[in-house]
Amino acid sequence: MARIIVVTSGKGGVGKTTSSAAIGLGLALKGHKVVLIDFDIGLRNLDLIMGCERRVVYDFVNVINGEASLNQALIKDKRVSSLSILPASQTRDKDALTKESVGKVLDELSQSYDYIICDSPAGIEAGAMMALYFADEAIVTTNPEVSSVRDSDRILGMLASRSRRAEQGLEPIKEHLLLTRYSPKRVAEGEMLSVEDVEDILSIPLLGVIPESQAVLKASNAGEPVILDTESDAGQAYQDVIERLLGETVDFRFLVAEKKGIFSRMFGG
Amino acid sequence: MADANIEFKGSSFTLSILHLKTSNLTNIGADLQAKVAQAPDFFHLLPVVVNVAQFADSVDYQALKTLVEAANFTFVGFTGTVSKAQRQRIRDLGFSFVNTAKQTSAEQVAAQQTNVSTNPEANAAAVANLGFSDKVHQGQIRSGQQVYAKAQNLVIIGSVSAGAEVIADGNIHVYGSLRGRAIAGARGHDKAQVYCQKLEAELVSINGHYWLSESMTELWGEAAYLQLTDSELTAAKLS
Repeated sequence: MARIIVVTSGKGGVGKTTSSAAIGLGLALKGHKVVLIDFDIGLRNLDLIMGCERRVVYDFVNVINGEASLNQALIKDKRVSSLSILPASQTRDKDALTKESVGKVLDELSQSYDYIICDSPAGIEAGAMMALYFADEAIVTTNPEVSSVRDSDRILGMLASRSRRAEQGLEPIKEHLLLTRYSPKRVAEGEMLSVEDVEDILSIPLLGVIPESQAVLKASNAGEPVILDTESDAGQAYQDVIERLLGETVDFRFLVAEKKGIFSRMFGG
Repeated sequence: MADANIEFKGSSFTLSILHLKTSNLTNIGADLQAKVAQAPDFFHLLPVVVNVAQFADSVDYQALKTLVEAANFTFVGFTGTVSKAQRQRIRDLGFSFVNTAKQTSAEQVAAQQTNVSTNPEANAAAVANLGFSDKVHQGQIRSGQQVYAKAQNLVIIGSVSAGAEVIADGNIHVYGSLRGRAIAGARGHDKAQVYCQKLEAELVSINGHYWLSESMTELWGEAAYLQLTDSELTAAKLS
């Protein structure tokens, strides 16, 4: 049975798709069989971040409607063979999905994959509810600012009440906090919530802190998930996230602003 | 053994009593429907007992029951101060007739008042809280969630997030941070209190008197409790 992990947030633009792509690829690089599903029907983005947008023939909705088989719709990643992507439809809307049909697809994928990563759309409407309904675990992506934290709190409430596990009275969804676009410098200046502030409000275990980084935008535009950029701090932070997801204990990095030494100041490092 | 599988135990329930001011069934029906339309979720399948003290024995009991059920209430039976003959007639028709426990509980309260008369204020609070049990919620209450302790005190073992709402007809205890809204004494109870380990609330209301966060600056972030003193909200540090 696969671990079904939803990457969710409530608020848009906090880094759900970036994180889904990085985590999916990171797990696959560790040798696990991973499928990434784009639940954002109508706003197809995951394929762009993964750099496979030109290879989309069939999509999730085609599979749901029985117009294509799963194997026809799944796109094999060119970098790592154990990673597949199930793209969203760009032309349909989120009403195309039903619990029964999505459940059937996830069951089928469960047979042959170790991890199913569901990239949730923003909001708390049907589309986001569908993405989290079948989840075993949730990665709640949050920016260190009040509105994002508030929306994450709302989603945590939904995870605890509207998911399959909640409805059937099973063990609750395992929740992880992923703090993205973190800038230690701005935290020090009091412009941004600190890790401790966010942990205090949401009170769920911290999975990772991804620093604000130019590398993320560059990676998105290139269709190369940022985890492949092993030189960048964001790439390394996602590597740590993978280790923690796999049960390792890794110290948190990039939490304090680096003090510039005299040399780097002189030579503009 | 007759008690191997079943057991009879006494318990008391909160039942709503429908008091009728007229014997005109059409008017009663119209008012019931209008009342339900105001809060359909609140009234849906609410168990009610109909007080027929005002009626002559000639009233159509079956029609009354039908009216109540048509408005989506759960009909329990009839009550009221009526003659023995009328009570018997109601039972003969196959309806249950229930007596209120008011008489006995009033006696109990009087007994308590005579027993504990040294501190009149504490005594009043004890009387006001009589009958409130606790509803205990384990875990954090998230933004957008609402918890209501109807005719109960509310105990939360966890924090109340900003954007969440906790409501109780009795007291509210938050063993964590109170960041959302807390509404105590929701159906009129001026002795209700709100306790929390960290006061960062958006709003605290007791019996309709409320404070927004700007009124709490003095005790912000502290363990505190709020109560009504002469119809004014007051707050104090815990310990």
